[in-house]
Amino acid sequence: MTKKQPVFDYLHCVSCGICAQACPVSALGMKKEGKSGKYRNLFPELVSSGCIGCGQCARACPMEVIRMEASQA
Amino acid sequence: MTSFLGKILHVDLTARTVTEKTVPPEVYEAVLAGKGLEAWYLYNNIPAGADPLGPENILGFAAGALCGTGAFLTGRWTVACKSPLTGGWGDANCGGLFAPAIKQCGWDAIFFSGVADGPVYFFSDGKTTELRDASDYWGLDATEAEKALHAALEPVCRKKPCVACIGPAGEKLSLISGICNEGGRIAARSGVGAVMGSKRLKAVVLAGSHPLPCHDPEAVKALSKELGRKLLKMTLPSGLGVFIGAGGRMMGHLPYLPLDGSLTAYMFREWGTQANTSLAITSGDGPIKNWGGTPRDVRRMDAVYNPEHINKIETAKYHCYSCPLGCGGKLNIRGRRYAEYDETHKPEYETIEAFGPLLMNWSLDSIFQLNELLNRAGMDTISAGNTVAWAIECYENGILTKEQTDGLELNWGNTEAILTLVRRMVAREGFGDALADGVKRASETYGGKEYAMHIGGQEPGMHDARNDPQLGVHFVAEPAPGKHTVGMGIEYGAMSLCDICSWAPPATLHPKSEDLEDTERLALITKANACYTMLVDGAGGCYYGQMMGVHMWKLVEYLNAAEGWDYDGDHYMEIGARIQTLRQLFNIRQGIDPASITLPRRMQGDPPLPSGPLKGVRLKNREQVSSHWRAFGWDDRTGVPLPETVEALGIPALTEVAQ
Repeated sequence: MTKKQPVFDYLHCVSCGICAQACPVSALGMKKEGKSGKYRNLFPELVSSGCIGCGQCARACPMEVIRMEASQA
Repeated sequence: MTSFLGKILHVDLTARTVTEKTVPPEVYEAVLAGKGLEAWYLYNNIPAGADPLGPENILGFAAGALCGTGAFLTGRWTVACKSPLTGGWGDANCGGLFAPAIKQCGWDAIFFSGVADGPVYFFSDGKTTELRDASDYWGLDATEAEKALHAALEPVCRKKPCVACIGPAGEKLSLISGICNEGGRIAARSGVGAVMGSKRLKAVVLAGSHPLPCHDPEAVKALSKELGRKLLKMTLPSGLGVFIGAGGRMMGHLPYLPLDGSLTAYMFREWGTQANTSLAITSGDGPIKNWGGTPRDVRRMDAVYNPEHINKIETAKYHCYSCPLGCGGKLNIRGRRYAEYDETHKPEYETIEAFGPLLMNWSLDSIFQLNELLNRAGMDTISAGNTVAWAIECYENGILTKEQTDGLELNWGNTEAILTLVRRMVAREGFGDALADGVKRASETYGGKEYAMHIGGQEPGMHDARNDPQLGVHFVAEPAPGKHTVGMGIEYGAMSLCDICSWAPPATLHPKSEDLEDTERLALITKANACYTMLVDGAGGCYYGQMMGVHMWKLVEYLNAAEGWDYDGDHYMEIGARIQTLRQLFNIRQGIDPASITLPRRMQGDPPLPSGPLKGVRLKNREQVSSHWRAFGWDDRTGVPLPETVEALGIPALTEVAQ
């Protein structure tokens, strides 16, 4: 079956962590290492298989850099 | 719909009961949430004369109005109580993830009264709410306790818990202890950790997942997106930190203070608050040698504390909840001299200044160790640094002997002795025991009161009032005296409050010497600063958002969008005045005499410094504080809010609805 999961546009993410805290099952964590411009930073990523596809992360994101996309589960 | 949940929780630790209470909407309209809600609740529920370390004291944890709405820079949680350090109003705030976690359990604030009969922690996931045995965690440092609680609870919680806890300093009732979260972030001031320790409350653990309300989330997000896009573009070329000391030298001799809120964003994004250290050393902003020295005493120390040294070992930036700025960072300190840990949070400016120039300590490595040690212990680095500075000056002047210091040679800049003394303060061993309750108590025991730098019992933050006389007004007039995060001249210049408030004077380039005079203009500026800070605290906002100015971080627009209101800046500034007046009334009820609180003589410029950017400066602090009180509608001799002011702010009606 398919379910939706968050997909991130890291280029425009500001690492504010609102999405991870909005997740009701803590499936998101600020764990992904990357760069925001020249700055080393941490970005959101799925850290468990528990994502329920509720989309609260995408709705909460002020920068609108999260899309919910279908994925094979 | 507003952002308020309309409910608070009161936990009686003696009776082991939890009671959910409804808060009338008019309370939120009057004081918002966060510190405002706490001011309302504590003013109405802590009796006069309550023992700060006894069951009648109430310890509140609150999130601000904007937390969880999508507004940026609104992740601060505020803890408030009667302070055991000052005997009056006490509060401290911190970032991390704990603020939204409070609201996600379904309350705007959680209050604790009573004393538990053994170590407990409070747990809620929004469905199960209970006190649990904390015997296994008592005695652990704050970071160890947080990790242990996560290990025990994550497997059985749907959502990862957030933990606020005390370390050994709070457990041992150190009056300069705070409350920690996120591996060493700390709400440090006012002795809030000792109050939590006195209640035998080791930790507050929250794992709720309630959705958080907001009137117009799209409007809030649009404001955040605008700010976020700006910040993404704000980047400085690497390596500029080496010039900050020279910039400070220039600022120290400039007749004017600069006016630009975006400086905050550029500097804090590049380096964090430690950007200020080398500037403070050379400009006169940062205290040197227990507030008695000048930049001449620490020539070239700005190179030691060049922020680039710290950036080099930063492994990643650290953002509090809802913050696009990311002034924090994680540092790899493995293998560095003195390091007993592998990692530490990037030390804040206040910590570096308090254990660097203030003590004439030239070792940056020792500051990493002290930072981690004190964060884990849950001890306030500002108060601890001021207290060690007193001890060193007493030792240098023969007031303390080597026998009294348990063999420590407490000379200026003796890094090893400083480290040992701080370890003993944390453990409350020997001479360290006396210092663990701050500089006022220590000087009452050993003498050397002339070297004890405190304001109303609390050690001042690391900015010199001789450099910024407006700060001197807030140090004294603030109901939690000694705090540096209420207002400064340089920040007033950056914030443009006159663009949201009809009575706030324009921020103009003006000679620094004007701020040394007692004028109506200065009184209105300090009032505006204090009102806006209280508003920010009610909203749960970050001081650094505030420092960016009203045109970058649009607080009025955020509040109107989140609450469905259409108020102007004057209305919101009155909310700030109401919160500040409630806190002052709290102090009056607790027997505080505001007129007895003064700056230490040294900080008033008595005697004046002989050289450097602050050469010859003398403050008219008492006169300026009187004018500040008058601007607030408080008695200008006593600092007591006048009856007509209390009435005009609607405080009697707020007391009635509390009954």
